[in-house]
Amino acid sequence: MAKDVLTVKHLKKELGHKQVLKDVSFQAEPGELVVITGPNGAGKTTLLRILAGLTPKSGGEVLWKGGRIGYVAHQPMLYPNLSVQENLAFFGEMYGAPSQGRFQELLELVGLWFYRLEKAANLSRGMQQRLAIARALMAEPALLLYDEPFTSLDAGGREVLREVITACREVTIQLAITHELQNFAGLGYRELRLEDGRIVEGGGSSA
Amino acid sequence: MPSFWRKAWLIYRKDLTDEFRTTDHLLSTVVFGIMLVFVTSFALQLVDVSTNDVFPAVLWVSIFFMAVLALQRSFAKEVDSGALDALLLAAGDRSILFYAKFLFSLTVLLLLEAVVVPLLWVFISVAWRKADVLFLLAAIFFGSWGLAAVGTLLNAITVQLAGARLLFPILAFPLLIPVLIGAILCTQGALAGDRQSVLGWLYLLMIFDLLFTVIPLLLFDYILEG
Repeated sequence: MAKDVLTVKHLKKELGHKQVLKDVSFQAEPGELVVITGPNGAGKTTLLRILAGLTPKSGGEVLWKGGRIGYVAHQPMLYPNLSVQENLAFFGEMYGAPSQGRFQELLELVGLWFYRLEKAANLSRGMQQRLAIARALMAEPALLLYDEPFTSLDAGGREVLREVITACREVTIQLAITHELQNFAGLGYRELRLEDGRIVEGGGSSA
Repeated sequence: MPSFWRKAWLIYRKDLTDEFRTTDHLLSTVVFGIMLVFVTSFALQLVDVSTNDVFPAVLWVSIFFMAVLALQRSFAKEVDSGALDALLLAAGDRSILFYAKFLFSLTVLLLLEAVVVPLLWVFISVAWRKADVLFLLAAIFFGSWGLAAVGTLLNAITVQLAGARLLFPILAFPLLIPVLIGAILCTQGALAGDRQSVLGWLYLLMIFDLLFTVIPLLLFDYILEG
C-alpha cells in the first residue's frame, strides 16, 4: 500500500450511547477530491474530525502516513485580536518557519495581501474564511480536509476556494463534507454519501 | 519542524501579545486585587490584630482570588475564538499546550502580584526588620507556580464543559489546599526570618509544583480529546 494513500477501514464512533459512525470504509489517493455528502446528523463532521486527529475513534482503522493534515472548518478558528499577518505567521512558525515569499503567495492567493495589517476581528466572515484557508495551506498539507468550506463565502471567495482546490490537486488528497454539492461542479470530485453512520452506494462523480 | 519548546514559546508569545492587546481582563483583575487590598487594610484598621500575623493569610487569599479570575483565561481564549482545533493540529503533541499555557498563566499571575503585593505590604504596614525578603519572594514564586500549574490543568479540563466558570473555583480550592498551606506558612516563616521553618515549607511547595508540572505531560492527550 502506498504510504500517501488515505485508508479508512470499518471506522466506528460512539458518542455516549449513540453510534454516530457505524461502519465507514473508503480509500482516497493523491490527486483525488472526495466529497462526502449526507443529511444532518449522518456523522460527516465527526468523520472529518477523526481523520484530522481531533476526535478519537471508537473502533476501526485510519491509515495515514502521508504527512501533515490541513483543516478548514466551517468556523474560521482565528485569533480575533491578532492581525491577518500575525495569525498566519503564528501558524506558519508552528509548522516551521515559512519564507516571506510563501507568506505573500498565500495571502495573494486568497486575496488578503492588502488586508494583512488588519485585525482578524475587523474582517468580514467571508474574509475570515479565506484567511482560514490560507492558514490550512501554510501547513503544506498532504491531506486537506474541508468542513462545509463554501459556507459564508461570497462569489469571489467561492472562486478563490475553487482555485485553491485546483491548485492543490496534484500533491494533495482533498476531502470535503458539504450540503451544497453544486459548489464542487467542474472540480472533478468523487462523491461518497454518508447516511446513518455508513457510506452508502450511489455516490456520483463529476469530471 | 520546530522543537517542543520552540512551539511552546510561540504559543506563549502569541498569548501574551493577545492578552496585552485587549487589556480589559488583565485590568479588571488588577482593579479587583487593589480593591481587595483597600478593603482588607480598611477592615484591619478597625480591629486590634498584629498585621504581621495576618499578612500571610491576607496575601494568599488575595492571590488565590486573583488567580481564580486570571487562570480561567488560558484555554478560554482558544475556545472563545474557536481556534483550539487549529492550535491542536499545529502543535501535534498536546502537552506543548499545557506548558505554553502554564508559562502564560504564571507570567500573568506574577505581573498581577507585582502590583498587588507591594500595595498590600504598604497598606497593612508590615514590620520588615526581621523579614527575609529572598525567602518571601521564593514563597510567592513557588506558590504562584503551584497555582498556575493546577489552574492550567483544571482550566483545560473544565473549559469545554457547561458552567466552566462555576466549576473552576469549586474544583480548584481542594486541589490548591496544599499550595495555600505551604505558601502561607512559608510566608509567615520568611516574615519572622525563621529559615528552618521556611525551608521545610518551601520544599513542600517545590515537590507539589514539580508533581503538577509533570503529571500533565502524561494526561494532557486525554484531557483535550474531543
